Amino acid sequence: MTMMLKAEGLTKQFVLHNQGSVTLPVFAEVSFTVERGEAVILHGQSGVGKSTLLRILYGNYRPTLGHVHVRHGGDFVDIVTATPRRVLEARRKTLGFVSQFLRVIPRVKTIDIVKDPMLARGVTDDEASRRAGDMLARLNLPERLWSLAPTTFSGGEQQRVNIARSFVDPSPVLLLDEPTASLDATNRDVVVELIDEARKAGSAIVGIFHDEAVRDRVATRRLDLTAYRAAA
Amino acid sequence: MNTPHHDPDYNFGYLDEQTKRMVRRALLKAIAIPGYQVPFGSREMPLARGWGTGGIQITAALIGPADTLKVIDQGADDTTNAVSIRRFFERVSGVATTELTEDATIIQTRHRIPEKPLEAGQILVYQVPQPEPLRKLEPSEAETRKMHAWAEYGGMYVRLYEDIARYGHVATTYSYPVLVNGRYVMSPTPIPKFDNPKMDDMPALQLFGAGREKRIYAIPPYTSVKSLDFEDHPFTVQSWTEPCALCAANDSYLDEVITDDRGGRMFVCSDSSYCEDRRAKGHVGKELATAEALAYVGHVEGGSDVA
Amino acid sequence: MSLERVHDMNAEPDPILIAQKLTKLYGDRIGCRDVSFSLWPGEVLGVVGESGSGKSTLLRCLAGIDRPTGGEVMFRHADKPISLFDIPEPTRRKLMRTEWGIVHQNPRDGLRMDVSAGGNVGERLMDRGDRHYGKIRAAAIDWLTRVEIGEDRIDDRPRQFSGGMQQRLQIARVLVPEPRLVFMDEPTGGLDVSVQARLLDLLRVLVRDLGIAAVIVTHDLAVARLLTDRLMVMKDGAVVEEGLTDQVLDDPQHAYTQLLTSAVLAA
Repeated sequence: MTMMLKAEGLTKQFVLHNQGSVTLPVFAEVSFTVERGEAVILHGQSGVGKSTLLRILYGNYRPTLGHVHVRHGGDFVDIVTATPRRVLEARRKTLGFVSQFLRVIPRVKTIDIVKDPMLARGVTDDEASRRAGDMLARLNLPERLWSLAPTTFSGGEQQRVNIARSFVDPSPVLLLDEPTASLDATNRDVVVELIDEARKAGSAIVGIFHDEAVRDRVATRRLDLTAYRAAA
Repeated sequence: MNTPHHDPDYNFGYLDEQTKRMVRRALLKAIAIPGYQVPFGSREMPLARGWGTGGIQITAALIGPADTLKVIDQGADDTTNAVSIRRFFERVSGVATTELTEDATIIQTRHRIPEKPLEAGQILVYQVPQPEPLRKLEPSEAETRKMHAWAEYGGMYVRLYEDIARYGHVATTYSYPVLVNGRYVMSPTPIPKFDNPKMDDMPALQLFGAGREKRIYAIPPYTSVKSLDFEDHPFTVQSWTEPCALCAANDSYLDEVITDDRGGRMFVCSDSSYCEDRRAKGHVGKELATAEALAYVGHVEGGSDVA
Repeated sequence: MSLERVHDMNAEPDPILIAQKLTKLYGDRIGCRDVSFSLWPGEVLGVVGESGSGKSTLLRCLAGIDRPTGGEVMFRHADKPISLFDIPEPTRRKLMRTEWGIVHQNPRDGLRMDVSAGGNVGERLMDRGDRHYGKIRAAAIDWLTRVEIGEDRIDDRPRQFSGGMQQRLQIARVLVPEPRLVFMDEPTGGLDVSVQARLLDLLRVLVRDLGIAAVIVTHDLAVARLLTDRLMVMKDGAVVEEGLTDQVLDDPQHAYTQLLTSAVLAA
């Protein structure tokens, strides 16, 4: 067993300085680890802080207390205290975040969007093209769209481009924020397969899924955040 | 050659001795740093600035009783400005004057370098209207001084680039910038670029004076003077398809002269002394007779018999 | 992953630019105060704040245009850190023309308006001593193409260009000597939204492909999000918050940053 991610005493409260400095506690003292090949699904009612926790793991939100250690190359990076450039480097090579939204980059071709993370990791252009094509085909995105920029695609098509980009060369640590939401059954099944393949290939996964069926198929373990709910 | 008398109401050479010393100090500094513009205390002269006061002040500071002075304007000794300046020095110094390039010790000029190669011991004094070659690129004097100080001359090539891009060749024909002694970019005043190669390695001393801009600069004898160019667009001079209509020279700079109001014209040497000298030696251009009939040139001994 | 790559990731390269307690006073008035940061090769730093927050003053000190009242700017040159205001002026001017570039908000401040597009781009090459017309022109065409200006416009003057084209021409002029560091002052200010988007995308791609470090001053948080890796938020001449761009914008900690991010609809 190889530990890939270790959350240590994560506590989050939002302080709204411009609204009378009101403090909104979310959770306190969340600690857990994720091993290689595990899929930990965050559990709990809406408002319990699942999304907030996922964003803290990615470095997008800053915890009030605590640390997030991610295995990056030979050692661990604390996403909370590392310099921005170390965090960016960890995101480029180790730490992936997949939501249902594609952050649209204007004027870049679909196929290039999917190839981009592979090229950043040193995969050759030929191989990246081949694998990107396979992945887009698997997600039922018509080939005539590959050379277009996804700006004008439907929401579902953009979502699949985003999935293709994220799973064509899955990061060692994958954070999933409802990647299957609003997909049709066929494509949802493909995504579930992709998640499973990534996990079996060694990725450590932390995810949020509202669809109970998907949750059951993906999870190897569940983490209920209700227990960490901070006293308001 | 004639030897008039010095008008005793004026100090010799018009300028007072203190002023001459100040100008000479500026000249020595300019000679020590070839191509560098030395500021000097330009004086009011009995003619308007812009009419050559910079060159006149240099000549006035240098001239001695033993000198022989030649003054040319547009290459010619007989133009109004040349005649006036020559008369001025005859009156205030009484020195000998000449039209023959080889006889002169000091030659004051505005637009030309004489065709006859100058020799060691001669001094060529240029009147300079705009001494700063970088002025078109940079209006600030403080900034152009820095550009010279640190040899930041990339911008000069932009002008040449623009010419080639627009016309296929460098269209600048006058005041074509040069690099002196491999260090300072210098404006050679409005001489045609035809004369630029003559400045390179010249045995005579070249002095430049700008009266309005209060600057003096110099090229010592035998100094390298290179016209700016590109490797693939080397510097070239103007050329003409025909020789001089009066003296048949094919190695001189030619001016276009209109001979009638029906479109008649001819190309003749701009250096009148050079042209006369050649005609005196028997060279005959194909329109010399026409020119004499029009009284455009005087009846020159030796040349006129051979029609 | 091979040992070598692991080693590479852990090796800390040297910063290209270091600001140490940079302070600029205008009499009693504070331009900027005690600003310190390091910038690494390939990194894009955004400086945001309202007008008067000191971000433009900071940029002028960093770029060597204004001398700071206190503190130091260190630039890594020939593998050694040099103090920007301790070196002789000609050396600093030369660095400004070769190793770094400045993209001004108004293209007129960065272009020669009476010189053709090709001449504007080519000047930087002539500055560094290039003297082959054909090669200079070929490089100019290459760069005009990269900033999406047609080759047929090479002999037109900037005043014949639209605002967006002028700005792209300025960017080509700045990038042609392949600087290692670029400063941008509101690079998309004054442009229409659609023109802005195109320019931003172009800048993003160029900065990434060339691996240059950049400092971008802007009041536009959307521009900051799209172009920068990390962010400094300035108020009254001082840095009130800094960090990863998405973290500062999505989870601002300081009261002023919260106000700034809530004042826009969606950055």
